[in-house]
Amino acid sequence: MSSAYPTLTARRFRPVTQEAPLVRVALIAFVILVLVVLLFAPLIAVFVEALAKGWLAAIESLAHPDARSAIWLTLTVAAISVPLNAVFGIAAAWAIAKFDFRGKALLITLIDLPFSVSPVVAGLCMVLLFGANSLMGGWLVAQGFPIVFALPGIVLATMFVTFPFVARELIPVMIEQGRAEEEAALTLGASGWRTFLTVTLPNIRWALLYGVLLCNARAMGEFGAVAVVSGKIRGQTATMPITIEMLYNEYLSVAAFSLAAVLAGLALVTLTLKTLLEWRHADQLAATHRH
Amino acid sequence: MTTFVHRSPMPGFGLSLGITLSVLSLVVLLPIGALLLKGAAFGPAGIWSVVSTERSLAALFLSFRLALFAALFNLVFGVLLAWVLVRYDFPGRRLIDAAVDLPFALPTAVAGIALTTLYAPTGIFGSLAKEVGWKIAYTQWGILIALIFVGLPFVTRTVQPVIEEIEREVEEASATLGANRAYTLRRVVLPTLTPAALTGFALSLARAVGEYGSVIFIAGNIPLKTEIAPLLIVIRLEEFDYDGAAAIGIAMLVISFAMLLAINIIQVWSRRRISHV
Repeated sequence: MSSAYPTLTARRFRPVTQEAPLVRVALIAFVILVLVVLLFAPLIAVFVEALAKGWLAAIESLAHPDARSAIWLTLTVAAISVPLNAVFGIAAAWAIAKFDFRGKALLITLIDLPFSVSPVVAGLCMVLLFGANSLMGGWLVAQGFPIVFALPGIVLATMFVTFPFVARELIPVMIEQGRAEEEAALTLGASGWRTFLTVTLPNIRWALLYGVLLCNARAMGEFGAVAVVSGKIRGQTATMPITIEMLYNEYLSVAAFSLAAVLAGLALVTLTLKTLLEWRHADQLAATHRH
Repeated sequence: MTTFVHRSPMPGFGLSLGITLSVLSLVVLLPIGALLLKGAAFGPAGIWSVVSTERSLAALFLSFRLALFAALFNLVFGVLLAWVLVRYDFPGRRLIDAAVDLPFALPTAVAGIALTTLYAPTGIFGSLAKEVGWKIAYTQWGILIALIFVGLPFVTRTVQPVIEEIEREVEEASATLGANRAYTLRRVVLPTLTPAALTGFALSLARAVGEYGSVIFIAGNIPLKTEIAPLLIVIRLEEFDYDGAAAIGIAMLVISFAMLLAINIIQVWSRRRISHV
């Protein structure tokens, strides 16, 4: 008897904290429609266009020397800039979360600064500072170490646009964890490094992985900043996104979309890993990612 | 005597702050400083003489106007999407929740060529639009779609955790006091979401203002009509007109920061408003 009563009322009266069923269905349908048109369709289009002339044509275009050198360059840039940003992120989070010092709020603001600067403007800044006709750049070129239109410039530009990713992820997590565990380890005689490696690092590993994942996705896909500093020299300073632009502008659609499909595949892997982290290790990520 | 840092048994302050400040200076502060130094050398009058040309003004106005429209769309749609994802249950909800972040993971150049293919007159959506006489790609509509794409996740991701925290009892109380659902949503739920939504709005706006990769393919890039400010900077750099590029870059920085500051002030005000209620 008692179980029949609630179902009966639930059918006739909806809870006051819910919208009308018709409104709910309409909202869900609208949201899905917009996401299909704006998100899912472009993703599918990349793979459809890449395979427009069959698997063989797609794979052949990836084996082209320009494509291979672009893939290699993108991997190199990510392999340098992501670990450097990870080290920076850990150092910044350690200083900010474990110590109280003056100017902390300013430091956090400055770390976030790259998010409000256009990647093209970031590239422009690099050119102004390190370009051949700047003071520092001219000297470096004379020493045989050019930065702009070469690998170091691409790495610096990539680091600029991916700068806040790891730090932003680690700072809230480390602030929340406090410093009691580290203080206990130190009291028991552990050295600073040992405390970091055996106490702090295991506590922040999933958050670190999360930040590195997003940082890497952005590093491999960065276009605007790299377009400005790389000089777009085919086979030398053209990363994957730059090569995609060149191929697309030359109407080599299959080649452009094949490279694009590789990056889209990477994006899907990134999203999958990120979602797994959010489901499995939510308690060890920044609070905003817990759902 | 006040010291710079409170004494603490924790080691590594000098090392960690040293690394932080060195990398921050080399990667971010020195390059931005180089741009600002260039701006100081021109003076405001010098910058204005470059920026006040018809082409630069048109590009800046286009970038900021469309970025504002895109961010406004993302503000409304982002709150709606977050609400649907948290409060409603439907098949595929978790997949959609995970897919919302796609624009963060998908490189902008990839998004750019994919959107262009779809919305060009020969593409699936472009040909549909063509039948009703609506041209999307190679017009300002195309730019707007690309900017909406890159800024889509921001508002949803900032608002979602706040909706999860809302106590249903508050909504029930509002209903008990005689408010209908629409009134409760407008007067009880929305005000609590405002600060988080504004954070997402600001992030989405900043992203859209500076966006380059996804826009240049779909824009058509016709001076005065569909040429965005970042593209004009790239064009000036390719002409080796570093001063011209720097002037537009500084104008973009200044306007962006002014806008972000304004949003920040509104945010502080809206936060104060809910804490008083």
